[in-house]
Amino acid sequence: MNRKENFTAGFIRENPVFGLYLGLCSTLAITTTLNNAIGMGVAVILVLVMSNIIISCLRKVTPSEIRIPVYIVVIATLVKIIQMLIKAYAPALDSALGVFIPLIVVNCIILGRAEAFASKNGVFDSALDGLGMGLGYTVSIIVMSALRQILATGMLTFENPFNVEQSIFAFRLIPEDYVISMFSQPVGAFITFALLAGALAAYKNHQTAKEEKKEAAAKAALKEAK
Amino acid sequence: MKKVLHLTLFLALVAAIAGGALALANSLTAPIVAANALAAEKQNLQLIFPDAADSDFEEISVKDSETIEKIFKVNNQGIVFKLKVSGYKEGTSFMVALDDSGKILDYVVISNGDTQGIGTKVAEDSFKEKLVGKNAETDTLDTISGATVSSKPVVEGIQEAGKYLSENLK
Repeated sequence: MNRKENFTAGFIRENPVFGLYLGLCSTLAITTTLNNAIGMGVAVILVLVMSNIIISCLRKVTPSEIRIPVYIVVIATLVKIIQMLIKAYAPALDSALGVFIPLIVVNCIILGRAEAFASKNGVFDSALDGLGMGLGYTVSIIVMSALRQILATGMLTFENPFNVEQSIFAFRLIPEDYVISMFSQPVGAFITFALLAGALAAYKNHQTAKEEKKEAAAKAALKEAK
Repeated sequence: MKKVLHLTLFLALVAAIAGGALALANSLTAPIVAANALAAEKQNLQLIFPDAADSDFEEISVKDSETIEKIFKVNNQGIVFKLKVSGYKEGTSFMVALDDSGKILDYVVISNGDTQGIGTKVAEDSFKEKLVGKNAETDTLDTISGATVSSKPVVEGIQEAGKYLSENLK
C-alpha cells in the first residue's frame, strides 16, 4: 500500500466510524452540536497521531507479552494531558464533552490503530495513518453532528472554543416551528448513524460493483482478442 | 526469571515516564484550571454583590459538610455560602449571603431541577422576600406549602449555613 492510499483509507474504505464501527459510544453521545464534534475530533486526532508516533518509536523495544499494557499507559497519559489542556484553555468544551474526553482512552480506534498499524510500521507512516484515521473520524462526526444539530434546532452554530462569547458563525436553516427535537436525543443519534452508515455501505457496494463490471468487461475483451 | 525481570522493568519504566509527563502537565495547567473555576464562581457572586471587585472575594475551605459546597468571604460585606441540597428530582443549587450576625442578606438560586411550577417556586422572589432579613440560625424560616419537598432542604441548608457561621467562622 502506498502512502497516499494509506492516508486516505480512513475517509471512505476504512472509515473508522461508519465503515469499521469503531468508537461508537462517544460518537453517539457527543454529536449533538458542531462545536462538540470539532472539539472531540481535534482531541482524537492529537491523541491518535501522538500515540501512533510513540508506539511506533517503541515498537522494536516493546516486549510483545506486555505490548497492550504499554499501549494503554501511553494512550492514557496522552489523553489525560489533552484533558488537562482542554480544562485549562477551553473550559466550556470540557463541560460540554464531560466524561467523553477521558473515555478517549478506551476508544477502540486508538488502540486498534496502535495494534494494527503503529506496532508494525515506521514512525512517519504511523503518524500519517493516525492523521488519516483521525481526520476520517472527525469528518464523520462533523457530518453527523451537523445533521443532528440542523434537524434538532434548525440552526448551525460554531463558537470559538477558547472564548465562548465569540461566535464564529450561526445561521438558521429551518424555521423554529419545524424542528424535530428528537434528533438531539439518543434516538436521533441512532437514526442518523444508521442512515449515514447505510449511505457509506451503499456507496462502497456501488464502487465494488463498478469495479467488477470493469474487470468482467476487460476479461471479455481479452477473450475476444484471443 | 530474567524475562520476567525485563518485562517488569520495561513496564515500570514506561509508567514512570508517563507519570513524570503527567505531573509536568498538571503543574502547568492546575493554576489555570483553578483560576477558571474561581472566575466562574465570581460571576455568580457578583449577582449578590454587584459592586464588589474581583479582589474582594476570598474562598474559605469548607470542613465537614455535605451540603455546603463553597464559602466565600466578601470583603466587609458578608459571607456567601454555596449549597447543593436534595429536592424532588435534581434538587437545588443556591447561594445564600449572610452578614456576621447570621442575618440573611440575599438568596439566589443557581439551578433547580424540580417540577416546573411547583418545586421551582424556591427560585421565585416571593420565597426570597420571606427569607431576607431573618436570622439564618435563630429565626423560624417558612417552607413553601405545596412545595415542601423542594423548599424544606433549602431552608435546612440555610439553617446549616447559619450554624456553620456561628460555630466555625466567628
